[in-house]
Amino acid sequence: MPIVRSNPTGVRGPKDAKRHREKQKEVIRKKLPDIIAQEDIITDRKGRKVKVPIRGIIIPDFRPGKRKHDDEDEGDVGSGGASGIGQGSGGVGDIVDRRKAERSSKDGQQAGDEPGEDYIETEIDIEEIIEMMYEDLGLPNLQEKDHAELEVSLGFKIRGTKRSGPQVLLDKNRSSDEAIGRFYAYLEILKAETGRDELTCFSALKETGGDLTAAFELLKDLEFKASAEQVEPFPVFENEDLRFFDLREDMQKESNAVIIIELDVSGSMSTDKKYIARSMAFWLTEFLRKIYDKVEVRFIIYHSTARLVDEYTAFHTVESGGTEAHEAHEQVMHLIESQYPTNRWNVYVFQFSDGWDFSPKKAVEAVRKLIDKYRINMFGYGEIRVDELSQSFSNLYEEFYSNMSLRESFGTGKLEVIAGLQDYPFVGLKITEKTQIWPALQEFLKKGRWQR
Amino acid sequence: MNDQELRRLQEIDKRVKEIASENGLITTDILFELVSPQRMIEAMAYNFPTNYSSWDHGRDYDRQRTIYDYSGTGIPYEVVWNFNTPRAFLVDTNPFALNVLILCHVYAHVDFFLGSTLLQKSRAMGDMAQEAREAEKRFRGYEAKYGRDELERTIEAAKAIQWLQDPDPYAQDVDEEELRQHLIRLKQEELRRFQDLRTQTGGRGISGKDIERVEAELKKIKYRTPVVDEHDLLRYIIGHSPKPLRDWQKDVLSVIRLQARYLGPQMRTKLLNEGWATYWHTRIMRQLFEEGLLTDEEHGIYNEYHKNVLTKNRTRFNWYRVGLHLFEYVEERWNRGQFGRKYKESEDPHKRSDWDSGAGMGREKIFEVRTHFTDRMAIEEFFTEEFMRQEELYIWGEMLLNDEVVYVIIEDDLEKIRKILLRQHTLYNIPLIFVKDGNAFGSSGLYLVHEYTGFELNEVFETGALEYVQYLWGKTVNLETILEEEDLDEEGGIAFVPILHSYNGKSHKVKVLDQTRNPRFPK
Repeated sequence: MPIVRSNPTGVRGPKDAKRHREKQKEVIRKKLPDIIAQEDIITDRKGRKVKVPIRGIIIPDFRPGKRKHDDEDEGDVGSGGASGIGQGSGGVGDIVDRRKAERSSKDGQQAGDEPGEDYIETEIDIEEIIEMMYEDLGLPNLQEKDHAELEVSLGFKIRGTKRSGPQVLLDKNRSSDEAIGRFYAYLEILKAETGRDELTCFSALKETGGDLTAAFELLKDLEFKASAEQVEPFPVFENEDLRFFDLREDMQKESNAVIIIELDVSGSMSTDKKYIARSMAFWLTEFLRKIYDKVEVRFIIYHSTARLVDEYTAFHTVESGGTEAHEAHEQVMHLIESQYPTNRWNVYVFQFSDGWDFSPKKAVEAVRKLIDKYRINMFGYGEIRVDELSQSFSNLYEEFYSNMSLRESFGTGKLEVIAGLQDYPFVGLKITEKTQIWPALQEFLKKGRWQR
Repeated sequence: MNDQELRRLQEIDKRVKEIASENGLITTDILFELVSPQRMIEAMAYNFPTNYSSWDHGRDYDRQRTIYDYSGTGIPYEVVWNFNTPRAFLVDTNPFALNVLILCHVYAHVDFFLGSTLLQKSRAMGDMAQEAREAEKRFRGYEAKYGRDELERTIEAAKAIQWLQDPDPYAQDVDEEELRQHLIRLKQEELRRFQDLRTQTGGRGISGKDIERVEAELKKIKYRTPVVDEHDLLRYIIGHSPKPLRDWQKDVLSVIRLQARYLGPQMRTKLLNEGWATYWHTRIMRQLFEEGLLTDEEHGIYNEYHKNVLTKNRTRFNWYRVGLHLFEYVEERWNRGQFGRKYKESEDPHKRSDWDSGAGMGREKIFEVRTHFTDRMAIEEFFTEEFMRQEELYIWGEMLLNDEVVYVIIEDDLEKIRKILLRQHTLYNIPLIFVKDGNAFGSSGLYLVHEYTGFELNEVFETGALEYVQYLWGKTVNLETILEEEDLDEEGGIAFVPILHSYNGKSHKVKVLDQTRNPRFPK
């Protein structure tokens, strides 16, 4: 029997693989809160891809569970973790292979709690996560960058030329191009009409200073002889040849946003709390990057004073002393004035604190000012209250609630939220555990809140 | 592969067939197709040259392709089907010497298909390639007509229970009513005999109670469905689901059932089949080199791939390696007469290892193994201490050490490993589940029983699988199974708790059954 070349192209494979990835995505979507809260997305990330241990999809069947008992004749094989057969030298206790443990096994929450799911580590693009976040927020395929555009004057800009204008805007180059063209045109006309040679026509044109009618007259005189030795073109200006620069005001649509993160770095802000703030800052930035062409992130840390720092310093600083949030707000005002005027920038301010402030009244007052006077797009207040041994003091949240017109509600996962009435761009919330990062982001980013 | 190479391969193919034949292998026409790596990967993921669309095939395709694309390893090279005309793929872009290796390997697989009594039966199942190709077309139609979701769910449900087959993979599909009539006749005869005996003995040997018992049994046979415990779950559902299933769904279930029944038995001879193919490709290739049909350079390439095939794997069972060694071990022993009572009873290790009666029966013996053995039988018979020591087998277990999962040898006792291997090759990790009642509690419920064979079911999977069964059945489904619980009376002991897990389409219920009424359960 012959060996044959066969060339049916594989189409089912890629198609079905795509369907599987879709199903995987559904699983990822369900796990979004866990994925978003995952620490190494921010820390171990390489480029735009993150490794996410997600459950691969396996059709559930009837299969053995973990062996809980030891058959006397089979030793303790099979109890507990996975086991299998291998080949090679060595005895009991020897390590034959190793691999990096998945995060999930550290968290102790890895065991499949849904039918037929098993972990496989998959790489997914941050972009994909963001898109899912968008879809979850009811903002599919946000192409509506218009929302975020501001009209900004960049001064004046030449937009071509026109036939009239003030002398100062005369476009000399364009005008003389036109005029030289006219010179040749006249020369041709004279040659054709009078039948005289080029040099003679040129001499007449030159003598009359480019006046066509006068040159005609001259040439009628058969005595007129060429005085020039060669044709030297010169510009012949008529009014209609003048070209002036067209100057218009340059109104450009710009799409800039700045996210200013105010971070409480007083002693009570533990690593865990900072991590949540950092994670929130990361996702907020990623999220806003989809809407704006240009997104800048600035960090202000505060305790009894406030200062502008880089990201690393922001999350690695611990200070003792008082906590004065209004100091940070004032820094924000300086920043807006000096670098991010709100007529050119969409400004988002997020404050993360564990809730205690020495001058809460001043803090609330400053926030009002930011919203009312500086007209920032949004002020978000995230009170992080994880790993509290006992209910420690907090007054900022209360202060906001009792001094501003806010409505109290609950987000997903019992997240406490206070938000401004009638699109007043203030949102405050209390995060009590890591898994609330996503609900908190949802509240901050709800449609309508981030546009102004 | 260019045309010249193709012609050369065709010449070699002829010679390989001759060599195989000269060595006693059964040969037949094999259709070899040169394909792209993607096509090969697709065929591996779909189990057949062309098969119906399903995302789980896509998942396997994706996984294989990713390994191939990114690691450069996992080069796809071998796929052969036990069809009427056996069919195999060769990857066009693979090195020539590798394709020759595969060609030889495939000839031995085909001999195994034709020679193994177990696999011969697979061939009688009809033209599976054709069936799969046609199913692909029909399924596409179903998708267009009834929607992707419904089709997917039906496929998933069928796959969830596809391996719950009759323990005899080639059991005939007997019509339930025919079987019922047959059983009724037997019972009626028994009843008549009892009645006659009672009359003859004047009621002394046989009591009225005995008669009543047989009458009750007869009544049960008349009305019970299934008439006997049914292990072939898909078959029973196709025939009896009160959902009711639509014709296209029955078709989907039938296709998946048939494919599973075709593929299932191949699991039982995997070690032997791969060992056999490796044994023969080694020998046929050797002869091709001797005959100068392949160049020295090609010999080098062959050696490399051959070595890879036989790599000792620290965490996996290499079927090729162990299988090859098994046949070589058996051949050597039977050549030297190391078998029979005298050999077995001899306890002097020196005497045993030097034992050579010059029996020269090696070749004959390995053909016998190929014909009559399954993997389980081969393990039982030939995984001697000597062989297992030579293969350096051990059991590893996963442990968490700091941030790493380490694989640690947890068992190297040969006898224990042998027991584990035997268990694996008896049950293949498939639980024994049968339909006890298709009209449970008088309300068309399905009553399944899981027979305890040493393990409880994975709870999470059980839940999902039961939901799929319910999807196919439409009414409440019940599964009687065993939970292994910590024994409160005995430290470290395990108590076996029989439970009934029910699912009605909305919620799950678990009820502890009266243990004393279930003598089947281990104490």
